[in-house]
This record gives sequence, C-alpha cells and structure tokens, in this order.
Amino acid sequence: MVRFAGKKVALLKRVVALEGERVEFRHGKLFVNGKKIDEPYVRYPSDWNLQPRQVEKNTVYVVGDNRSVPIENHHFGQTSIKRIIGMPLW
Amino acid sequence: MVKVKTLIIFALVAIIGIFTVIYFFQSEKSKIKKRFKLLGERVCKEPGENKLNRALKIQKIRTLFAENCELKTHIPSISGDYSPQEISTLAASALSRFSKLSLRFYDLDIDIQKDGIAKVTFTAMLTGKLIGEENFDETYELESVLYKVQDSWLFKSFEVIEVLRK
Repeated sequence: MVRFAGKKVALLKRVVALEGERVEFRHGKLFVNGKKIDEPYVRYPSDWNLQPRQVEKNTVYVVGDNRSVPIENHHFGQTSIKRIIGMPLW
Repeated sequence: MVKVKTLIIFALVAIIGIFTVIYFFQSEKSKIKKRFKLLGERVCKEPGENKLNRALKIQKIRTLFAENCELKTHIPSISGDYSPQEISTLAASALSRFSKLSLRFYDLDIDIQKDGIAKVTFTAMLTGKLIGEENFDETYELESVLYKVQDSWLFKSFEVIEVLRK
C-alpha cells in the first residue's frame, strides 16, 4: 500500500522492481533488468510501451494489476520507500 | 523561604510563557486553516448558482494570494508565477468549463517558521463535473507556503507532490 495523500488516501500496487533495477514495458509485457517477468495476476492484457529506466535510490517501482486502461491513465511508477505503509495480509 | 518564592515565581513565568507560545501558534494555525477553508469556498461552483455571486467570489480569490504566487506541477503549461489578478482570471476561465466543482482540504500539517512564513502539507480533493462530461474525483498531496502580511496569511506557492513518477 502506497500512501498517496494525507493520512487516509492510499493506493494498492504491486512492487515490481527495486532500487538499481531497470524496468520497462514492451507491448504490454514487463521487463526487469532485460528479463521478461511472468505476471499471472494480470487479467487483462495491455499494449503498454515504456522506455527502460533505472529505479533510483530509496525508491521502488510499483504498478497496479489492472492494465486494461491506457498507460497515461494508470497511476504507476517510482515511489519513495517511505510511502510504503503496509501490505495485504492475504 | 525567599529562595522557594523565587523558584515559584520563575516556574509561574515559565508556565505562562509556554502557554502564551502555544496559544499564539494555535491561533496562527487556526487562521491558516480558515484561509484554506475560504479558498475552497471561493473556488466551489454549484449548479444554478447566481452568476453575480460567483463573479464576486472569483474576484475575491485574489485577496488570498501574495504577489507572484508560484505554482509547481508536473504539467509545464500551468506551472509558473502568477499575480493575484492572474489567479482570479485563471480561476474564472477554469470554472467556466465546469458545471459543478468542489475543492476540499484535509490533513493540514502546518509548520510555522520564523519571520511569518508557514509551510503546509495537505490533501486536496477536487470533485465535480466538466460540462458535457462525466463526474470526476481527483486527490492530490500538495505543499504550500504562506506569508503573513499585515496579520493576514497569503498563499505564496503551491507544489503538487509527485508520488509516482513513471
């Protein structure tokens, strides 16, 4: 869970890359350090393309599982680890 | 005996001093909160609202801002320095595109610094309806700096915090 604003607004996202790793999307497929990641939790395929970028120090890269929306409408990206406030219990 | 009395007087003075400082900061924080509430009230737009009232509200928005208020966002086209009059004009132009709009502020974390400067981190919730489009509901975390000018707190800058950077 990522603290998005104030004390009450949070986003539920999946951490897909850690600091120093390179992340990119090619035709909807996620690549970390050039290796394709198997993502069985993604129900709806996307056509997202994102140039490779390195995750900065003290941050993680998070993406939601709902990839059916256009890439520009989806809240995802690099965020400070200080904003991680919890995780689902199951 | 005299020593005890002196100590008691010192303690009393210290307690009064502490309470005065606390009261002063609480009072200033309360004034800043009212500024945010006022900004939200002046920006909001209700369907069927009297046009003259709305025009007056928009004109009054400028009284809440310091000269050259800086807006920092991830959208370069709207980032920059604005005079109070430019802010009123911008607000009027933006509001004309909405059939209804509400701006509310939550979780105000106010840090009053020296020389009448306050730094505020807060959540802004913008809900409403663009003319001819669906309802929307947006939330942002922002930082704002206010300057105290002649007993009034004026907005000097707003910065939208970028939580996720693609």
